[in-house]
Amino acid sequence: MQEDLACTLLSKHFGEFAAVDEVSFSIPRGAFFSILGPSGCGKTTLLRMLAGFQQPDSGDILIKGSSVLHTPPNKRPVNMVFQHLALFPTMSVAQNIAYGLKRKGVPKREHATLIDDVLAKVQLPGYGDKRIDQLSGGQKQRVAIARCLVLNPAVLLLDEPLGALDLKLREQMKIELKRLQREFKTTFVYITHDQSEALVMSDHVAVMNKGRFEQVGTPQELYYQPKTAFVASFVGDSNQYAGTVKEQSGQLITIVTEHGVRLLSHGGQPMPLGSPVTLFIRPEVMQISTSRPEAEQDNCLQVTILRMLFDGARSQLQVETSEGAVLTVALPQTADYQALEPGRSVYVSWQASQCLCFPVATETQPEAVQ
Amino acid sequence: MSAEPSNANRTQYRLGFWLLLAPIVLWLGLLIILPHIDMVLVSLRERIASRQYEFSFSNYTAFFTEPLYWNTFVRTAVMSILATVLTLIIAFPVSFYIAKVLTGRPKIALFILCLIPFWVSELVRTYGWMILLRETGLISGALQWLGLVDQPVEMLYNDVAIMVGLIYTSMLFMVVPLVTTLDSLDNSLIEAGYDLGGSSWHVMRSIVIPHAMPGIMSGCIVVFMLTLGNYLTPTLLGGKDSLWFTEQIYTQFITRFNWEQGAAFGILLLILSSLIVWLGLKITRQSFTRVMS
Repeated sequence: MQEDLACTLLSKHFGEFAAVDEVSFSIPRGAFFSILGPSGCGKTTLLRMLAGFQQPDSGDILIKGSSVLHTPPNKRPVNMVFQHLALFPTMSVAQNIAYGLKRKGVPKREHATLIDDVLAKVQLPGYGDKRIDQLSGGQKQRVAIARCLVLNPAVLLLDEPLGALDLKLREQMKIELKRLQREFKTTFVYITHDQSEALVMSDHVAVMNKGRFEQVGTPQELYYQPKTAFVASFVGDSNQYAGTVKEQSGQLITIVTEHGVRLLSHGGQPMPLGSPVTLFIRPEVMQISTSRPEAEQDNCLQVTILRMLFDGARSQLQVETSEGAVLTVALPQTADYQALEPGRSVYVSWQASQCLCFPVATETQPEAVQ
Repeated sequence: MSAEPSNANRTQYRLGFWLLLAPIVLWLGLLIILPHIDMVLVSLRERIASRQYEFSFSNYTAFFTEPLYWNTFVRTAVMSILATVLTLIIAFPVSFYIAKVLTGRPKIALFILCLIPFWVSELVRTYGWMILLRETGLISGALQWLGLVDQPVEMLYNDVAIMVGLIYTSMLFMVVPLVTTLDSLDNSLIEAGYDLGGSSWHVMRSIVIPHAMPGIMSGCIVVFMLTLGNYLTPTLLGGKDSLWFTEQIYTQFITRFNWEQGAAFGILLLILSSLIVWLGLKITRQSFTRVMS
């Protein structure tokens, strides 16, 4: 497969601090690639190096197979949608789009057609003469994308452009961005700290932490088969349970908590007996039942309901185990669970294959999801 | 019940409004409007005998018929415009460097460096230039010592010396508005300009300068007015032949005691500066309120 963008051992240090630390990846042509990470993980620095605004300390950037390390930003075949869009306020919509065309040397008589075409594709036909301050947030977004895509870049870089929008509009723009990417068949590199944006839109996601890629994979792989504790806790919601390894047979690991509760879990890597581990259980894999399940379950805990968190289809239940740990469980909105109320004792159960455990990292992890 | 206190509040509010407005109304009225009305009246009369005056345009016709007045007037205008343009050309890169390239302490330090010359009076500042430029001055001495010239060079009392002095005096008034507007330019706009393929020249021309236009115009207006009305610098650095219009006004008022003629000149200078500022705004399509805000 031909690659539009590839990086090899790319590094950037600010003093002692490694903002980007030997990152290597390649993106196939026409893919939607997201870099997901908490703020300060180095994703913006990485994007700015791709755009040419920062020089890497070492490593190489290849666009369509040739190195662009010594190409200034205005000569690189990449364009960027900035976080705050950076539309030129002194120009109209059409002038904003024409700016790049002029610099590229496209003959003036072709401008009008190209501008009309791209505005139609971003669903803003006839907006050419509007001033930037006459547009709504979503419309500005579309103009910023049109301004780049009209130049047919090899790669379009997007720096969290949806951050400033309200929730409803953000949901719409996610779908819209995906549609535009399909239509233009351009390679998108999208950076965000919002996992939902990354999961919904991307073909491939790289989870970045402390200047390194923790894992690169499809959204499904990251969600169901996280390779590290960081990915497990950062992508999607998880309950975290601390314990030590009691027994390991193949991929099945028996864990004992501080208070002697035995839990079974799937474990992807061999772990020495007695070593501390963290168990990750997603809220939606846990089954709630009012009486003890009859069939033998891998894991079953008797818990007390603390409170109900009503959020329509995404409602959750906070429960407390007998040893005092608080777990969050997805609450299906069906008639069976209408009678639940705080203080009531219920059972939660889940399969060993649906939870994961990782050795306790010595490094600090993102805040445990409570 | 509720109407009464709100009425009292409103009266209080109005009183406060007028009290706050009073100083500026008094200031404008007593120091700007009243003198100008008087000046218009004085300029429109002619002394026919001791303490006897008559309505007449003779002061204005004198201006148009006497080539010296006329020439000085045009020369002052042209020199002021030139000084404004040169100040802008020098101040723009300086301001851009302060606003966009530097950050933190060096930025503040350089900004203060621009301000320091204004801690001493204009007289001392101008005298500084005289020390450098006069026949027995530093530059002349240095050139002789280096053997580049074999006799003292007089660099004072010419148009270049006047221009240097005027630009030096005006610099701060151009740098401050420029730094302020350039500071407000989002860096990502500059980066977007490059990202979309623009060269430094294009980014400057189509993004930075349009954004800075209100600052450029407000700096130009202030510098132009200060230069046009400057008396000290042209007189000291230009000497007797500096031919600056403010000198003519001074001569009429003080030396020749011809207040009528002096007042007419003053009015003409006011009309000239208003006209040129208006033209400048028209040409650059800026509005006065936007430039001054």
